[in-house]
Amino acid sequence: MAVYKRGYQRYAGPLTSRWTRFMVLPRYAWKRLYEQRLVLLLTMVSFVWPLLCAGFIYLTNHVELLQGLDKEFLEFIKVNGRFFSIFMYVQAGFAVFLAALAGPSLIAPDLSNNALPLYFSRPLTRWSYALARLTVIIGMLSVVTWVPGLVLFLFQVGLAGGWWFLANWTLGLAVVVGFLLWLLVLSLVAMASSAYVKWRIVAGAISLAFFFILSGVSAMIDAVFRVTWGHVLDPAWAVNRVWCTLLGVDPPEGPGAVSSMLSLAVFVLLLVLVIERKLRPVEVVR
Amino acid sequence: MGTTPIPVVELENLKVKLGRREILHGITCRLGVSGTGKAVGLLGPNGAGKSTLILTLLGFLRPSEGRARILGMDCRRNMGEARSRIGYMPENDSFVGEMTAVTFLRQMAELSGLPPKAALEKAHEVLFHVGLGESRYRELRTYSYGMKQMAKLAQAIVHGPELVVLDEPTNGLDPAARRRMLKLVTDMKEEQGMNVLVCSHLLRDIEQVCDEAVILKDGAIVHHCNLEEERRSNRSFVELEVTGDDRDLRTALPEIGADGVSEGAGRWRIVLPAGVEVEAIWALAERQNLLVRKLTHRRDTLEEIFLKAMGHLSHTPGESAALDVSRT
Repeated sequence: MAVYKRGYQRYAGPLTSRWTRFMVLPRYAWKRLYEQRLVLLLTMVSFVWPLLCAGFIYLTNHVELLQGLDKEFLEFIKVNGRFFSIFMYVQAGFAVFLAALAGPSLIAPDLSNNALPLYFSRPLTRWSYALARLTVIIGMLSVVTWVPGLVLFLFQVGLAGGWWFLANWTLGLAVVVGFLLWLLVLSLVAMASSAYVKWRIVAGAISLAFFFILSGVSAMIDAVFRVTWGHVLDPAWAVNRVWCTLLGVDPPEGPGAVSSMLSLAVFVLLLVLVIERKLRPVEVVR
Repeated sequence: MGTTPIPVVELENLKVKLGRREILHGITCRLGVSGTGKAVGLLGPNGAGKSTLILTLLGFLRPSEGRARILGMDCRRNMGEARSRIGYMPENDSFVGEMTAVTFLRQMAELSGLPPKAALEKAHEVLFHVGLGESRYRELRTYSYGMKQMAKLAQAIVHGPELVVLDEPTNGLDPAARRRMLKLVTDMKEEQGMNVLVCSHLLRDIEQVCDEAVILKDGAIVHHCNLEEERRSNRSFVELEVTGDDRDLRTALPEIGADGVSEGAGRWRIVLPAGVEVEAIWALAERQNLLVRKLTHRRDTLEEIFLKAMGHLSHTPGESAALDVSRT
């Protein structure tokens, strides 16, 4: 029967599981995000570098194609921690721009349209809402970061064989863990700016500026006080320092991986507090 | 053995603070019975604490003391379960602007636990039901105010809740839209068997759709009445203004079975029992040699109750006349 003839009747069928309900917000958000041409374009552009890296892996594993090249050069182009660190730097940059582009549309529209009471009057807590929004951005950025990173790793394993895997399995783990750490910081910054600024463009600019400003501040502290600990105030530097340890490459001069992890933990905590303060169904004016 | 009826709302010494200010001062009451398809009205002037009470019932605000239960579930501990059985229509604009009405409702229904296919069907059904069928594929931000109100109602009922909480549902609606909204609310309880909790400062809305009403003032309940019984008693009220010596009018009113109170300067508020028509007042005034300057006849009982609760009227006619007589 046509819907307009049927009339409204209360739903009395079975209900979905909690997990299915949790994924409702991410599903709708991803659909909306990938309807934006700019987001889609940037996502596609982000695959260019992984494709080039895949070509590089193919070449290094086919010695016959590299015959006649210098021995030192052949040693230089090995697939190792340095290779994956270069891959990660480039993809991390794409992730920053993608987060700045997509992040502001996460919470800002719900706040400006006062939609939070509608969400929170359903079986959805503040934390599950925040986690769902976090899933949206982490899921989206995963597509251009650790997922292609892991594919490249597996590609290398496939070409180089099981011995290479046994000697370098930590690289695969480092790519996933390292990227997830970066995505967590990026996503929380994007969510916090989206929660505080209702205008999308401004929110996007703020999430970009966050990294540039802190990088500038940390460099200034280092220069003025002639120290190196100022670097821990720069989350991008701190993440890079952790990556170096995970991938086993030479770290930059400055505080160690533990200090960097601690500073990142403080950043994450502060960002969570900032978001927690804003995600309320009603605002109490004191 | 019969089961104990579960009240829709149960409050035990409920106190709520916003900042340092206490808004609700220890409210205790039981409203409605779950599953009966009745409507409870929350009445009160602006700032009485109606919205605060609703927000507390929805778990948005934490009681500083006491306890609040909705459909038998504690508003602090079991809100997750309670929320899947509740629909809420907020007072202010609340929507996701860049979504079409169908997508928005489908998302809301899925969040309440409906499977995607059922959610889509219900979204279409309910949009036709509230009169937005033709504009269901339009983005919500393009809707007029009245349409947004209807969309808010639609999202509140799309998942078929047991209880629908409506905060000022007729705010800003033109008379036709207001009638339609009230008709939909009446249908919700009578046709669908939903319990409804309506918060409003409009007496007529509450009187038209509710079976029970609670009047709040300064964060406390000042009156709780059963409108169904009031309606059944079929009393009607007369506001009378006369010139002449009206001292004997009070004792003469029982002759026609009526009660009344004098407000001074020839002004009277009289309650007529069922079966007594207003012509009896005219005849009585004639017998008492009184010149009638004004006579307003209505069946609006809630206004009397509300005015008395607010302290604008010292007595409700019919309730206190006998008391006054005994005093004299």
